[in-house]
Order: sequence, then structure tokens, then C-alpha cells
Amino acid sequence: MSYEKEISEKIDKNEPLPEKLEISVLKYFWQSNPIMGKKVDSIPKFLRKIEVLKNFTENELRILAKFLHLRKFNAGERIFNQGELGVGFYFIYSGYTDLVVGEEIKNEATGERKPGHIITLEKYDYFGELALLQQNSTRNATAISRQGCDLLGLFKPDVDQLINIYPLIAAKLLQSVSLIVANRLFSLTREVQELKYKISTMENNASS
Amino acid sequence: MPAVNQTGKREKIKLVFFFLILIIFTLLLLLMPRVSTPLIFGYVIYLIINPAVPALEKLGVNRLGSILIVFSSLIFFSTYPFIKIVPTISSEVENIQYYVPKIEGFVTKKYKELKYEVKDKTSYEIDDKYFYEAVDWVKNTSGSVLLNVPNFLASFLEWIFLIPLIVFFLLKDGRSFKRSFLRLIPNSVFERFYHLSYQFNRKLGDYIFAKFVEASIVGLIITSGLLIMEVRFALLFGIIAAVTNIIPYVGPVLGFVPASLFAFAEYGYGTTSGAIITLYLIANAIDMALVFPILVSKIVDLHPLTVVVSVILGSQWLGIVGMIVSIPVAAAFRLILDEVYKEIYQDN
Repeated sequence: MSYEKEISEKIDKNEPLPEKLEISVLKYFWQSNPIMGKKVDSIPKFLRKIEVLKNFTENELRILAKFLHLRKFNAGERIFNQGELGVGFYFIYSGYTDLVVGEEIKNEATGERKPGHIITLEKYDYFGELALLQQNSTRNATAISRQGCDLLGLFKPDVDQLINIYPLIAAKLLQSVSLIVANRLFSLTREVQELKYKISTMENNASS
Repeated sequence: MPAVNQTGKREKIKLVFFFLILIIFTLLLLLMPRVSTPLIFGYVIYLIINPAVPALEKLGVNRLGSILIVFSSLIFFSTYPFIKIVPTISSEVENIQYYVPKIEGFVTKKYKELKYEVKDKTSYEIDDKYFYEAVDWVKNTSGSVLLNVPNFLASFLEWIFLIPLIVFFLLKDGRSFKRSFLRLIPNSVFERFYHLSYQFNRKLGDYIFAKFVEASIVGLIITSGLLIMEVRFALLFGIIAAVTNIIPYVGPVLGFVPASLFAFAEYGYGTTSGAIITLYLIANAIDMALVFPILVSKIVDLHPLTVVVSVILGSQWLGIVGMIVSIPVAAAFRLILDEVYKEIYQDN
């Protein structure tokens, strides 16, 4: 008789239980279940939580997951460099990624060099989407893994294959990517408008 | 920062390991022709029929189902030609040996006529040495090629079992092979390597497919034309024309030479020989005017000079095989050079 059954029978019969439940043993047998060990479904589940992929069905996410490449990066490793040709779009599966722009900024007072840090991305964030759309896309920023991270990459060849084999999924994916790009463009346009307004007010102030 | 140094070091080890695997794999392929030849043939067939699988998948058949459909139709449609063609070719090859002395006699006679004519008109006597050396060379090489055909067919029988197996597993597990290979590529070169290898594979696949179609069209025209004219060895000459057609520029001439020699020796300078020559001209005209511009030239946009130089280099290193392989290899070099060029000059 299994340990689990033995305990549950004791509970049914209101018999006294052993002082200490062998949780570790239970856990071991529970986890050694062959179905539990595999994390087959974890990537589709991860994709489900990404906002821009919400128009995908479960099955479509499962297929999309087959075309993604899980890449592991160590702490401080560069994912890509600014100005490099890029063909990949990345989702952050775990860990953090720093996006850095431009030359290193030197702090005059301390002499410490610091790169022009823009943003730190975390789990469920994504970056590099322009690489999928542009013909010869050069990276606008440098991406550096902070403390090591796992990324799910989708590359131009994968998109080509998706278009060939699963046109519907490819259309949905490109829709999502254009959604990301459109959102960025929208916020950029607003920012430009604000800056223009600021400049014009500054010019007015200077002339008056 | 020590962590970064550690990462850099590990990345270097990964890079070395990855390129070492590539080099070892290439060396193994070169050193073991008995394994690598069917593997390469299998890969070529895989590249030719692979586009059919996604097409079926698009219709809603699942992956294994579409692979099985493609694979069994390949077997179904190639069995009958094999059963029919292999014995015919064997007997044609055996028979053509008896024609070789006749052709040799014909060529020697023509040479002597030419020699006397030259001597009459210019009083210059051509040295016989060069001619007989050339005849010997042609006889020996063609003899060894022809004698090797049965051996080739024998190993062909071995391949009949091996190649379908390779093709099937490439179709079935090709994607997972590729994924596990991609996992080995170090992060720092991953994007570029993946992109480049994908482009190259697609170009190679398209090129092989186009060449296959081109060679089949030429072979079909010549074989059926010769069959209609009731010329002997129609199938053999058709196959020679198809195979040599793969070689750019030089190929059509190489395919034409044996048939024209045979025609002159067998039929003299009559209507039949004229008809055979016209047939070859028509087949090559169709190829040059219709098939090549539509199918091949768009895939491999190499300059004609590059093509000629790479064919010569290929023939120097690997003979006929080198001539056939030279174009895809040149295309690969060009792809890599393009990428390096972009890498170096795009930054500015």
C-alpha cells in the first residue's frame, strides 16, 4: 500500500496520524510523475500572458511556441549591439534586460563611465520588433542581459516559414508586431508634438 | 568586471567548440564518400520535394500525414521508371562499347583527310602524336566511365534502400535536427549565422529544384526526339544531355559531342545526322530562351564571368562533380561576402 493511501485511510478511520508527515517523500513521489517533470506547456502559457498576443487561440500559441528559440544569456552578456544588423525579435522569458543607447557617458565628478541607459525590461516584455519588419534592420540600441536572462527569440527565417506553413498565425503575429510598432509611433508622435510646442514657447519667450 | 570576463571566456569556448564541430562534420563528409554520397543525394532529393510538405500542411493535412503522402507518391512515381530505365541503360552501355571502335575509326579517317588537306594547301605536316594521345585519352576516360556505369548502378541499388530512408527521416525530423543544431550556436553569432544559413539553404534548394527541372526538360526533349527518329541509345544520350546540362555553358556542348560523333559514324553526313544536330540545337534553344531565364537566372544572379571562373576552378579540384557543385558554392561565397560587406560598410 502506498504511503499516501495509508495516510488517507488513517484519516478516514480517525486513527492517530504519525507525528510528522513525510512531506518530502510525498513531494518526491508527486514530482517524479513523468507528466509533471516536463515543462512542455510552459512556453505557450508564458505567451498567453503577453498582452499583444491576446488575439491568438491556445492552439495557435502552441504552434507559435514551436517556432521560438529559447536562448540563455549570462550576466552582462550582450544580446545585440547598437548599429548591428538584426533579424530577431525577443520576448523576455525570465530575468532582466537593459537597453542602452549611444556612447558611454562619463561622469566628470567621479570619472565613472556609465552607458546611456534607457530602460530595464523584465519578464513578459519584448524588444527588437523592428528587425522583423525592416529589410536591413540596424539595431537602435544595445541590449545587455542583467544577472542572466532567458529570452524567446523569433527570427526572420522563422517568420518566413510561418508565412509558408501557417499563414493565419503569421498574419496574427505580424498584426501583433505592427500593433507594437503603431503604439510606439503614436507615443513618439505625441512626444514630438510636445517638444515642438515646448520649442515654440521657448522661441516666443526668447523673442519677446 | 569579473562576471563579464567569465562570460566572454565561456563565449569564446562555445565559439571554438561550435566551429570545431562544423569542421569535423565537413571533414567526415569528405573522408567517407560511401556514407556522404547517399546523404548528399538524400539531402538533394529532400530539397526538391520538401516544398510539397508545407503546401499539403496548408490544406489542413497534419505534418506526418503530408510527409507520408509526399513520400509514398515519390516512391510510387519513381519505382516504374527505375525498373524500366536501369536495365535499358545497362544494356545500352554494354552495346555502345561495340560502337566505340567504329567511332574511333571514323574520327581517325576524318583526321587523316584533314591532315592531307592541310599538307596540300600549307605544306605543314601536323604531328600525329597529339592526335593519337588525344584519342587514347578520350578512349580511356570514356571507357572507364562506361565500364564504371554498371558499378555505379550496383551502388545505386544499395542507395535505393538507403536514400529513401534518409529522405524520410530528413522530412520527418528535419526541423528538430535543425533546432538541436541551432541550440549549439553561440549567442554572439546566432542571429547572423541563422539568417545566413537559412538564406543559403533556400537559395540552394531553389537552385537545385530549378536545375532539376531544367535538366529533366532537356533530357525529355532529346530522349523523345531521338526515340521518334529511331536512333539507337536514345535513352543514354538523353540522360547524358540531362546530366551535362547541369554544368553551365560547357555542359550542353559536352552533352552534344558523343551523340554527334555517334551520328556521323553511324549515319554519315545525311539527313539523320542533320536532324539529330537540329534536335540538340532546338533543345538548347528552348533551354536558353525559356527555361533558364525563367527558372535559374533569378535564383543565382552571378555574373557570367564569375560562373565561368568558378566552373573552371571546380573542374580543376573535383572534375565533373566540381563543375556541378561550383555554382552553389560560388553563390554561397557571394552571400557571405555580401553579409561581410554590409557588416563593414553599413555602420558609416
